[in-house]
Amino acid sequence: MDKHTLFYAMFIPSMILFLLGMGFRISLYLQGTVKGAEQATSWQKLWVLLRRGWRGFWKRPIWYLQITITDVLFHRKLYGQSFYRWLAHSFIVFGFVATFIVDMIKGLTTGYLVEWSHCLPFLSFAHAFETGAIRPFLDFFLEFFSFLILVGCVMALIRRFIFRPPQLKTEEEDITSLCFILFLELSGFFIEGYRIAHPEVVTKRVYMANFTPPSANNWLSFGGYSISLFLKGVTINPDFLWYFHVVPSLLFFIYIPHSKLLHIFTSSATVIGDRTREKEKQPY
Amino acid sequence: MKLSRLTPRQLLEIDACTRCGECLRYCPVYIEREEEAINPRGKIRAIKRFIRSQFGIWAKLFGPKKLSEDQLKKFSEMVYRCTLCGECGMVCPVSIRSKDLWIGLREVLVELGYYPKEFDTLKKNVLTEHNISGLDNEGRIEWLEAMGDLPEHRYQKEKAEVIYFVGCVASYFPMVHKIPQGMVNIMRRAQVDFALLGGAEWCCGFPLIGAGMRKEAEEMMAHNLEEVRKKGAHTAIFTCPSCFHTWKEEYHSEINLFHFTQFLLNLIQEGKISFKEEKLKVTYHDPCDLGRASGIYDPPRAILRAMPGVELVEMKDHGPYCRCCGGGGNLEMIDPELSAALAREKIKQIQETGAEMVVTSCQQCIRTIMTTARRMKIPIKALNLTELVLKHMK
Repeated sequence: MDKHTLFYAMFIPSMILFLLGMGFRISLYLQGTVKGAEQATSWQKLWVLLRRGWRGFWKRPIWYLQITITDVLFHRKLYGQSFYRWLAHSFIVFGFVATFIVDMIKGLTTGYLVEWSHCLPFLSFAHAFETGAIRPFLDFFLEFFSFLILVGCVMALIRRFIFRPPQLKTEEEDITSLCFILFLELSGFFIEGYRIAHPEVVTKRVYMANFTPPSANNWLSFGGYSISLFLKGVTINPDFLWYFHVVPSLLFFIYIPHSKLLHIFTSSATVIGDRTREKEKQPY
Repeated sequence: MKLSRLTPRQLLEIDACTRCGECLRYCPVYIEREEEAINPRGKIRAIKRFIRSQFGIWAKLFGPKKLSEDQLKKFSEMVYRCTLCGECGMVCPVSIRSKDLWIGLREVLVELGYYPKEFDTLKKNVLTEHNISGLDNEGRIEWLEAMGDLPEHRYQKEKAEVIYFVGCVASYFPMVHKIPQGMVNIMRRAQVDFALLGGAEWCCGFPLIGAGMRKEAEEMMAHNLEEVRKKGAHTAIFTCPSCFHTWKEEYHSEINLFHFTQFLLNLIQEGKISFKEEKLKVTYHDPCDLGRASGIYDPPRAILRAMPGVELVEMKDHGPYCRCCGGGGNLEMIDPELSAALAREKIKQIQETGAEMVVTSCQQCIRTIMTTARRMKIPIKALNLTELVLKHMK
């Protein structure tokens, strides 16, 4: 089975488990009482809440967008409380969001659009993403944003285990989450380094992500490139390395709804809910 | 255990808490007791554990675990040892509305039967006598007796533009009778057309809501609203921040609601109240239900600034960060020692300012601060803003 098929064979069940996990959490929230729909079933409550949210959003879409950027993505409140915490958290959040976006662009263009362009010539612009002018930017930003996550993660670990502010209490979940992120980042850089150090891996198309041909400017992937300098003489089974990174990544995904990482979604909702309430409150 | 006492938002908030501990530095109860289970993080962790044991994946697969009585008792003790000051919610980086959440948890505990038994007396008093003290409700305006020059209607006119809703504490505790007396005198001198509900005024419902007995409070709310409407009033004013906040948040009425600080500031701005000069250095204590809960920080300060000769010095923690005096959340009823300990901390902050007196806009804060000060023989003076305004009025 090629890596592409294998990846989807693991990714789709992981996605289903993630969605089931999220669905389970949401079904729990819907056991609460919705004002104005006290006797409603869970599905009815969900409908009522979604409808209220939808209507609320269209009352002031620009404001919601603004709040999402300033208060959810950039954590304005946290910034006012602790610059260090804000910076570490922002590196992780921003890093994840940006890496995801760049990765999606890279995956879509080099993985699919280039293939499709053979039949659909108007998609030929995608070649710029594979071997053209855009490729170095993709390589650099993917590396840079992943590096931000790594820095944020290290900062969080330093705060938790070296600075140890008195109010902080480290739970198992904190260690698990941070170790997960740290492992994914480090293994990602390692795998990248191995790929650069061993171009034959790309030629043989061992990694799904590297259906893309080798870049002429490998040094732009600065993290992986630095590691590659030490890996030239090292031989590891590249298949193992692939599983080493992909399996934990998918497990991380499944873990989210059952862990503190769920706050990625829940706290975004509480922050938006709170700002909406403040906005809609009758002036005193 | 049912989750229907909580809202979907509150259940989501329980998951949104990252247990970062930002709130710990602000929780007056935790600062005093230093017990992990008593702080907001500890309470959220405990309810999360209960929810997981009853509704988690394992519970779905193998059935819910029986809730341990000891754990529930301990949890109840922690949830009720809170002044509902709301400072934790204000500083929460993920904006958990913790005050509402604590009240929601109290409702869950009331349903389970794990709540302080003192609240049964409170409930009985409010439901039978319609006030927190359990005394005859007709005695609500006995404080009027000490005032001279009363008109024949004794401010219980059939119709009036403004209703002054006095509240239980100011009506029944002689220590703070000067507050409604002061308010009536100010309105009389400013020629405001107002009326009192007298015996028709019932508890606003806040003590029951705070105890986790929201359903029982509904009758109180419906009655009060009806009485105010009967008088044809378009405005209701409050000297009690908790009554004011409850009306604002729970009554959903068409009546214009003002805390007295807002109302007096309007009168000052309209020129109906003016002051004589008198040198005085004061500090101001923001009541939790007026400040953090209702967002009213400026009107009382503007009134103080309008008094010539009055110098306002702020406490170390003031405005949104003002430390609770210990008088909120019915804490005094279930743990008077803890309540007094919080008041002692408050008194320390007041003394540090070097002010001659602390001014506040809440009868309960005055009671809590002064009771502790007297008990500890601390020479401190606490005055409600109504008293100070009256004293300085021309």
